[in-house]
Amino acid sequence: MARFCVALLAAVLLVGTTLAAPDTISPSVRVKQADRLVDLASQLVKINTQLVYENTGNEAVKYVLVALDENHRQTLSYINAILVEANKGGVKPLKVVETKVQGHEKSSNQLYRIELKTPLAAGRTVTVSLETVHAHFLEPFPREILQKEKQLVKYTGNNYVLSPYTVLKQKTTVNLSARNVESYSKLKPVTQTDSTLNYGPYENIPAFSYEPLLIHCENNTPFLTVRNLQRQIEVSHWGNIAIEEVVDLEHTGATLKGSFSRYEYQRESGSGLSSVKSFKTILPASATDAYYRDDIGNISTSNMRVMSDAVELNLRPRFPLFGGWRTHYVVGYNVPSYEYLYNSGDQYILKIRFIDHIFDDMVVDDAVTRIILPEGANNIQVKTPYPINRLSDSLHFTYLDTTGRPVVALHKTNLVEHHIQDLEISYNFPRLLMLQEPLLLIAALFLLFVLVIIYVRLDFTISKDEASENKLRIAGFVEKVLSHQLKRINAYDAYEDQLNKLKQIKDINSFNSALKSITNDLKNETQIIADHQVKLKADSPDVAEKVAELQKLDKSLKDVFTQQQTLYVEKLIPGKINRTAFVEVDGPLAKKKADIREKITAIVKNLQH
Amino acid sequence: MGFLGLNSHVLRMTRDKQESLLTLSILSLAAVLSFATRLFSVLRYESVIHEFDPYFNYRTTKFLAEEGFYSFHNWFDDRAWYPLGRIIGGTIYPGLMVTSAALFRLMWLLNITIDIRNVCVFLAPFFSSLTTIVTYRLTKELWDSGAGLVAAVMISIVPGYISRSVAGSYDNEGIAIFCMLLTYYMWIKAVKTGTIYWATWAALSYFYMVSSWGGYVFLINLIPLHVLILMLTGRFSHRIYSAYSTLYCVGTLLSMQVSFVGFQPIQTSEHMLALGVFGLCQIFAFVEYLKSKLSKEDFEVLFKALVWAFAALSLLFAAVLTLSGKIAPWTGRFYSLLDPSYAKNNIPIIASVSEHQPTSWSSFYFDLQIMVFLFPTGLYFCFSKLTDANIFIILYGVTSIYFAGVMVRLMLVLAPVMCILSGIAVSAMLTIYMRQVDPSKNVDKKVKKFDNFSMKSEIATAFVGMITFLLVSYTFHCTWVTSEAYSSPSIVLSARSQDGSRVLFDDFREAYYWLKMNTPEDAKVMSWWDYGYQITAMANRTILVDNNTWNNTHISRVGQAMASTEEKAYEIMRELDVDYVLVIFGGVIGYSSDDINKFLWMVRIGGSTESGSHIKETDYYSSSGEFRVDKEGSPTLLNCLMYKMCYYRFGQQYTEMGRPAGWDRVRGAEIGNKDFELDVLEEAYTTDHWLVRIYKVKDLRNRGV
Repeated sequence: MARFCVALLAAVLLVGTTLAAPDTISPSVRVKQADRLVDLASQLVKINTQLVYENTGNEAVKYVLVALDENHRQTLSYINAILVEANKGGVKPLKVVETKVQGHEKSSNQLYRIELKTPLAAGRTVTVSLETVHAHFLEPFPREILQKEKQLVKYTGNNYVLSPYTVLKQKTTVNLSARNVESYSKLKPVTQTDSTLNYGPYENIPAFSYEPLLIHCENNTPFLTVRNLQRQIEVSHWGNIAIEEVVDLEHTGATLKGSFSRYEYQRESGSGLSSVKSFKTILPASATDAYYRDDIGNISTSNMRVMSDAVELNLRPRFPLFGGWRTHYVVGYNVPSYEYLYNSGDQYILKIRFIDHIFDDMVVDDAVTRIILPEGANNIQVKTPYPINRLSDSLHFTYLDTTGRPVVALHKTNLVEHHIQDLEISYNFPRLLMLQEPLLLIAALFLLFVLVIIYVRLDFTISKDEASENKLRIAGFVEKVLSHQLKRINAYDAYEDQLNKLKQIKDINSFNSALKSITNDLKNETQIIADHQVKLKADSPDVAEKVAELQKLDKSLKDVFTQQQTLYVEKLIPGKINRTAFVEVDGPLAKKKADIREKITAIVKNLQH
Repeated sequence: MGFLGLNSHVLRMTRDKQESLLTLSILSLAAVLSFATRLFSVLRYESVIHEFDPYFNYRTTKFLAEEGFYSFHNWFDDRAWYPLGRIIGGTIYPGLMVTSAALFRLMWLLNITIDIRNVCVFLAPFFSSLTTIVTYRLTKELWDSGAGLVAAVMISIVPGYISRSVAGSYDNEGIAIFCMLLTYYMWIKAVKTGTIYWATWAALSYFYMVSSWGGYVFLINLIPLHVLILMLTGRFSHRIYSAYSTLYCVGTLLSMQVSFVGFQPIQTSEHMLALGVFGLCQIFAFVEYLKSKLSKEDFEVLFKALVWAFAALSLLFAAVLTLSGKIAPWTGRFYSLLDPSYAKNNIPIIASVSEHQPTSWSSFYFDLQIMVFLFPTGLYFCFSKLTDANIFIILYGVTSIYFAGVMVRLMLVLAPVMCILSGIAVSAMLTIYMRQVDPSKNVDKKVKKFDNFSMKSEIATAFVGMITFLLVSYTFHCTWVTSEAYSSPSIVLSARSQDGSRVLFDDFREAYYWLKMNTPEDAKVMSWWDYGYQITAMANRTILVDNNTWNNTHISRVGQAMASTEEKAYEIMRELDVDYVLVIFGGVIGYSSDDINKFLWMVRIGGSTESGSHIKETDYYSSSGEFRVDKEGSPTLLNCLMYKMCYYRFGQQYTEMGRPAGWDRVRGAEIGNKDFELDVLEEAYTTDHWLVRIYKVKDLRNRGV
């Protein structure tokens, strides 16, 4: 991949140089009218020049040239040209390429070629609007100020529009941030109204004319520079994109001289005019879960306002930023992926901004954006709106990763607001891989449970622990004894039912047939319990004794039942006994039965424990 | 137990299974509860480290996690104690840092990309969960599993322990309590079984304890004391002999591997009890052996001779060692344990720490609530069923209640034993009364024989109800205390504004972050020692003195600078290469623990050394003997550096409605010295609420100006 990139870059360079060779300044082109607007109202210098080119020759011209002097070129952050068509609305961006021109190789001026969409025919005119943005161009002067002083800045430019062609007519408007102007170049005609300076019109200025334009004026707008921006975009196919920006911020205006007085800062309105208390960062409208913190924790002084088309974060650094003061913070938020991630089958495209808004008229000296794609993404291609340096790919490991997530790192220096444009990153991602992480979890938990089961169920002891084995064995026997005892009690309950039935309907035959199976059951259970009792004797005499007692009680219970049965069968049914006598005999028997039963229950309970 | 019986029918579980299910669920709930109840501060503020010492621990942990153990071990920190520096590796207990760094590494190995700060913040709650489990095991060994569960639930929310283990309170104590109870558990196991296996485990957990907290001294005195008492009560046996001999030998050797401890276990007096008891054990065993071999008369002669010879020899030996300085003299902190007034009279720096003050009665109730009353009950039950293990817990309870009375911070050591004994008390009482709630079920014959009480069931029900009520009130009390008293990170202050919303004062971090971002990398910052750890951790700047108060003279020098006039202070500050001075000033918002209120300590400590003999505390009192900042205050105070730095330009500031300018809201007075300029300092930064003020020390003047 890297090798391919290098090859591509080399090819581009090669093409560029070969194309650059034939550029010449066409003598037949001239600028009919140039209107220049120099905006010094913020920390940036924004120059917007509207140029009307006229082809006075015979041949059509494919391109026109513009020039920037050395000062402007060194500070140039952004350059763009648009074709202005008087009657048709809309903008048509034109391609602007840095170029060299024969005869001007040594010159400090830099030339740019603007390629026209349709060649400029002879005798026709075309209007081009050229926009350039320059960072760190305004120079604070004096460099150091006291807390109560205002910030003054100096702009050094050209009174004329620097052009490789003759300019027939031109004028310049300079916008300032305040009315207070210390001094300005007075190449006539010039007027000042409020915070605007108007130069010109000047006529018939030859090509590459230069007349220094010096403006020294007050400018208290925030001079904030992002020295270093680390932006991280983590894409999840589960519906979320997490964005985090690490910002190194510095106040690059006039530095603070002498002491900082909190008293004056709080009490006097004219104190610390150029300092920055807070600024606004605009996040996408769908941003949620925003956080604002630094190395030592959350910065509690911030507000979030959700508006219809954006989320506005009002960030207040821990301390006001005076000239030369720095701070460092992290802002992060989540956006839903459906707004940025598009797919057809396994082919995905991520459209997301290379940098985002940090504050108005921002300057970013150095930015690195790292895009973390889901694990398993391959065949990654990046399409950038302007040249961006792609660093070598790396891998990122986080929750439930096995092979690591591919990371695309992009780097660019010297950025301004105009660079907030979308990147396009396309990659392949087999959708089945989405299941990898849940499966991983399931497998891990499954393994854990299996291990626990193995540990609990199997015996790993090398030597036998007699005591606990014994205990377990006894417990086993006791459990069996109890279950049989339960059955026996059930049998007695049946016995009781039969006796009652007998008392009522006096059907001795059915009673006898039912009794047969019951006695059989009782006999069996008693025999089994007796067997267990013998086995128990060896292991635990105590328990065996209790079981013996149980057996004894059982025997007496059985006796009582037999007595009752005899009473019913031999006395009651034949009618050999009268009512009162029967009750007198039967009552104590029932009571005895209940007594024995209670004792049995007690023993059973005891055994259970 | 009624519903249990039902359960057994529904779930068809044996009694054992029911019990283990119940135990497991109660225990895991308690563990989760003990973690959750410590998260108030994280939820209310953020996941941040609290207080002062934890910042140092956090900083060292970060270093350890990033640089590895060997560079940590050899770390010479030039950020603190300028120009002396501090050998960190050799002057700290590394257990805490190693634990967090190991957890951190382990999680990163599993690709759990957690921040080291979060590991540190949540370490104490995590370990208190473990403590809950260990408490259960320990109490189970001492009494039964029911008492264990009660004790576990109690310790999970006891304020005395929570105060030092809330999320963010990243201090040694957070894990040390766990280590201590673990060692006790292993020790009890060793005493009960007499096996080398358990004794070695006890030694290992003792090593963990030693590596994590200086309070291990309590442990290494308590265990020998236990052995000694067992000897005196005639309970000494081969089990105890093998348990203690193993523990002492292995434990001492291991503890000497911690470089901060070094040779102390065989030199200092704090460790002598352990050594002595170890020797006594050997002699005792030897004597027993002789006794079994010799006739009675021969033995008596030999015994007497041996005793005298040994006593004389050991006295001589101890005297020689003490005189030659081999045995370290009793250190001040230890003296102050035995004699509460010792520190106050002799070492101002120890007395100046609020957590070294004696405990008030109210704070016992505040931190332990009903356990204050249940504790004696638990002791009673232990006495009524005296075993080797119970003797240990009785000793632990009695000694720790004494130490907790001496020093507030030792409440922490008392809290676990309070929980254990209260657990035993509650469980034992409930076992008795629960049986009587429904007497019909009771089939115990013996009880039936004496069944001549009336209203047995009603009384039992009332008693159970009362205990329930107490336990419920305990729960509410603990939650309230945790939420109100122990969950503020103290690095962020909060107050209620008039409309009821919460106002945050984040001035400390504002100032520290300003220092970090806007001063030269090698700037030296002078402040009172309280803020040392925070400045190095958050601002990453060199400081003169910090919370590790190892060098009294150095701290005293800073105290002298603060207490002197500007010119004198300038000399001291030049001598110490100070670039910035930081003071805490609460006069604007009414924050009472600021530097003016601490100032008398600076004067005392400053005056306690030779170079500061000209600084006398009395000079700073007004003529009527009061410490005042208004016009009545002493001129020495009104012109010293600390006063000037705190009140610079404060004379023009209005703080309260209807009060004159320069009204100090903490002292409730209009300041006495209002209009002055600073000659040798300039205000470098003052935070939003004036809480932290930073001054830059000016360079020497150019000649001729």
